[in-house]
Amino acid sequence: MCKENNHSPLQNREAKDADLPLEAAQTEVDGFDQVFDMQMNRRSAFKRITAGLVAGIGAAATSCSVAGSEKSAEKAQMEWEEYFKGNYKVMTEEEKKATVKRIEKSYEQRSGNSLSVSSKEATPGVLFGYAFNISKCQGYMDCINACVEENNQDRSTQMQYIRIHEIEKGHGINFEKADDNYYHEVPAKNHFYMGTQCFHCENPPCVEVCPVQATWKEEDGIVVIDYDWCIGCRYCMAACPYDGRRFNWQTPEIKESEVNKNQHYLGNRLRKKGVMEKCTFCIQRSRNGKNPACVEACPTGARIFGNLLDPTSEIRWVLENKKVFRLKEDLGTEPKFWYYMD
Amino acid sequence: MTKGNNKMLKTCIYSAFAILFTLVVSCQHKEGDAHSHHHGVMDKIEAETGKVDSIPISSDYLNEHIKKIVVDDGEHHFLIPERESHMTSFPCSKCHTDDLDKIQEPEKGKKAHWDIKLQHADISIMNCTTCHSAHNMDKLRTITNETIDLNESYKLCGQCHSGQLKDWKGGGHGKREGGWAPPRVSKTCTNCHNPHSPGFEPRWPSRLNTQKIIERK
Repeated sequence: MCKENNHSPLQNREAKDADLPLEAAQTEVDGFDQVFDMQMNRRSAFKRITAGLVAGIGAAATSCSVAGSEKSAEKAQMEWEEYFKGNYKVMTEEEKKATVKRIEKSYEQRSGNSLSVSSKEATPGVLFGYAFNISKCQGYMDCINACVEENNQDRSTQMQYIRIHEIEKGHGINFEKADDNYYHEVPAKNHFYMGTQCFHCENPPCVEVCPVQATWKEEDGIVVIDYDWCIGCRYCMAACPYDGRRFNWQTPEIKESEVNKNQHYLGNRLRKKGVMEKCTFCIQRSRNGKNPACVEACPTGARIFGNLLDPTSEIRWVLENKKVFRLKEDLGTEPKFWYYMD
Repeated sequence: MTKGNNKMLKTCIYSAFAILFTLVVSCQHKEGDAHSHHHGVMDKIEAETGKVDSIPISSDYLNEHIKKIVVDDGEHHFLIPERESHMTSFPCSKCHTDDLDKIQEPEKGKKAHWDIKLQHADISIMNCTTCHSAHNMDKLRTITNETIDLNESYKLCGQCHSGQLKDWKGGGHGKREGGWAPPRVSKTCTNCHNPHSPGFEPRWPSRLNTQKIIERK
């Protein structure tokens, strides 16, 4: 083991040297391929060298005698790989699997508890949509509690993805006059309630403005964020016309016993300070056929969720049979979140 | 032309295309343009519905524990939870051995169901026997005196609440059991509403965001 580790940097260097001329010979004319191949080559070679070095140094420093050396070398290796991992969007399936495994492992090392992080992909033939019945919502806010618990939101800043706006009847839908933090018996007389969250637009402006492509729309229509690729510039927050995005001003705090251990890389896995987050239609649930936590928690049935490509789904029936509308339709953002009335 | 010249020309053309392509992409820069040239999401839904025959996601694993019955009116087909096997002391005829008026003893007061307070419509419109048959307690009765299974109470509710019945069958009223994935298992009327007092009571919201109050001061 010790010997192998000491030799590995050298071996890697040799491997790199051996690779380069071969690749160069293959990519003779094609400009694009050449550029991309070069990049990949360098990156993978660099990765191999650094990984080897770390393991080697780790082994050398402990003189190959202590049992802990292997553990710390493994930890160092994991940290390196985690630090130099790519954007989730461009990872191969193996890389995704390795990444979520790493997160599970490092959580286990930190807390002693096990975690399940999924990298489940979108299913072809599924496009998620949501409908909200403003005649039904009574403003109980059960949805918000369920969302916070499901999605591991920061308790100390009381971060919440969903807002329930209490709007006085007879004045139209005016969010400037709405109250989203009421505390009195509900439903209040002469008021109605309207929930907002990320609308998962078909043309999401937040995705367009992201300078590092840390946010994108998945094939099933869910707009997601790679929390490790996000640089926290908050352009997306400014670009969203619906106030759908949230920023972690401080390191999120959740009691260990309250952490939802059933996670998805693009969903409710634990975030850090300085990154964006938002509703993901509970991607860790919805991709497994479940309803988002808010839909399940709503006692009034004001929230309908389903597959827009299934002509027998409830969401499709609502779109085809009720009078539906969306917010700021003139912007062309095409939200997949409709409002309707009884 | 020599081979070298040819190569250079090719490189030039390639790089020109590359620059043009970059310009076009950076000007438009629309995510997933290759897949969707639709104007709006409704166009996309229309175009892509039916492209995939069936999806491999099912809600069966979430609803295994529920005993279900079928609702089918020709237009909609779905499942609802079965009710009778969950009722304590069903069948009712275990106690109701005779007609209601024969076993009642008004001078002694109510023996059972003393906790039921009917808060459903006006007493001039509804009383116990509007829905319960005085002669057959194991069944419900319609306004035309036909019998309905307790399992199919939605038919009874739908006599007056026809708008809600229509919305419920379609999917715009009520809730799902399990999840969104097929097969559809919907909660039935009495899973959410107490038939004797079907309205939802006012109550306090389940949370108050104290941080927001501080921030907005």
